[in-house]
Amino acid sequence: MSSAADVAAHTHPLTQDQPGLPGSRGAITAHGWRSTRLPDVKLLMWVFLASDCMMFGALIGTYLAYHNRSLVPPYPIDVFDIPLTTVSSFVLLVSSFLMVLALHSLRIDDIPRFRLWTFGVALFGSIFLGFQVYEFVHFVNAGLSIHHSLFGTTFFILTGTHGIHVAVGVLWLLGFLVQSYVRPTSSKDAVYLEIAGLYWHFVDIVWIVIFTVVYLVEFV
Amino acid sequence: MAKNHNGAVGTYILIVLILGVVTYMEFAIVEYPQAWLGQTMTLVVLAALSVLKFLLVVMFFMHLKGDDRMYSGFFSSGMVIALATFIAMTAMFILPRTMAYGEARARAESIEGGGAAHGEAHVPPEVEELITTDGRSRSAAERADVPAPTDRSVPIEAPQAANDASTYEVEGAAGPAQTPTPAGAEQAAGAGVAGEETAAEAAAEGGAGATPETEAEGELQAEPEAAEAEETAADDAEEVGAGEAAADWDRALGAQVYNANCVGCHQAAGQGIPGAFPPLAGHAADVYAAGGQEYLPQVLLFGLTGAIQVEGMTYNGFMPAWAQLSDDEIANVLNHVIAELGDAPSGFVPFTADDVAAHRDDGLAAGDVHSIRAELGLD
Repeated sequence: MSSAADVAAHTHPLTQDQPGLPGSRGAITAHGWRSTRLPDVKLLMWVFLASDCMMFGALIGTYLAYHNRSLVPPYPIDVFDIPLTTVSSFVLLVSSFLMVLALHSLRIDDIPRFRLWTFGVALFGSIFLGFQVYEFVHFVNAGLSIHHSLFGTTFFILTGTHGIHVAVGVLWLLGFLVQSYVRPTSSKDAVYLEIAGLYWHFVDIVWIVIFTVVYLVEFV
Repeated sequence: MAKNHNGAVGTYILIVLILGVVTYMEFAIVEYPQAWLGQTMTLVVLAALSVLKFLLVVMFFMHLKGDDRMYSGFFSSGMVIALATFIAMTAMFILPRTMAYGEARARAESIEGGGAAHGEAHVPPEVEELITTDGRSRSAAERADVPAPTDRSVPIEAPQAANDASTYEVEGAAGPAQTPTPAGAEQAAGAGVAGEETAAEAAAEGGAGATPETEAEGELQAEPEAAEAEETAADDAEEVGAGEAAADWDRALGAQVYNANCVGCHQAAGQGIPGAFPPLAGHAADVYAAGGQEYLPQVLLFGLTGAIQVEGMTYNGFMPAWAQLSDDEIANVLNHVIAELGDAPSGFVPFTADDVAAHRDDGLAAGDVHSIRAELGLD
């Protein structure tokens, strides 16, 4: 901790959230104090996540508002596969775990492990997407398309929007990975990986809600 | 420092293990239902586990715990707005509809259940109000402002009584059977001439009068013989030209088909749900009067999609095709909707199975039916 004393002297106590992280761009930049004393990108990411919350809240609300209102089969209970969805939920949880490991490795300048874990996150994210593509194809073969019924429309828009979020996250992390080979990457870049991580974990918690509200409750 | 980092990794491992176990618990609760838990408690447990996972990820993976409060502030404000929207939507949209739909569905099922439902499918006033008002708690005065549902609704008992397969024959039959008169058939003919009684009543009397049995046997045999007598009575009525042919269909079947398939959307008395499902009571009769004799069976056989105007309100929904019903069922449910839920228009000739069969091979799409409707000039 003492190694960061010079930083701490100019830093608001609240920003010392990551012990032993001299690379944390908490408070001081060459441009002086920020009114929030917080890294702008991280604050912006949280604001974005708050707005994304509202969007997913509206999409889930719409799904539920039209729940049981479809006039024609297939109905949710006919097509949902809980064991499969549970496995894909596990996959997303593990990717979230690898994400914190990747951030942790970058913060201690362990670049090989950072690369390994980041690749792991992208891989597990892709596996999740694979499950989703499989599920979508299965549903369409069962006669459920996006314009087939209220269930089809609301379900595909909700899970499709989530899937697009996952895809964006995978591309973002792969970009990080490529960048680490192109130019030197160190703990100084941790805050950028951190916001990518925030986004990734957010995508995970949205799925936690969807898994329960859309899938599990259907079978209670 | 290194120890600190190992501690952090240890926390991450612990959290992901908890998350995995909780996810498995959620899966197990749903996959292997716990009867002792009950449905409500199962939902509560699932919600609680979901919230637990949510909080664990936010607090430990996203480091919101111990991070600057401004992050938490921004994020929770978004969460609060999202939750408020969600709760408002649930309160306005889901709860009333689910309840009304559930009640209507339960009624339809109890009626479909057959004999046991006779006389027992009584709908308490509060439930009836729930159905007719779509679950919204409006005062009587406010409800009066809504034109279609209240003005056109017929007493809920009407389809109930008609559903009882033996009601209308037996009631007619039981009377004369107690005081048997050999001149029953003459009475029927006389009624036709007088034109005061409907053909069904006349037919029933004729049938019962012709078989002065004991009450029980009378009930059993009334039906086929009533049908025979009905024909004669109808013929008589036709000859005289004064008969009102309002009863020449299977009312019990019509009501049963309606209650089993239609009430979910169009509601018990055919009043519909304003803005969502168009009313049938009265409207179907208007369509018939506007020349919809061909169009009405087509709606049932091929569905209907596209915007329509009913009593000043636009409905842009989707009526599924009911081709899986038999010709007889479609004909009788049409008659039920036109003449039971509404008032039969003058010159109404009940649909027969042949009328429906004539259109079964029209090969229309739901959109084509919409064009046919447009030609009727109703909108």
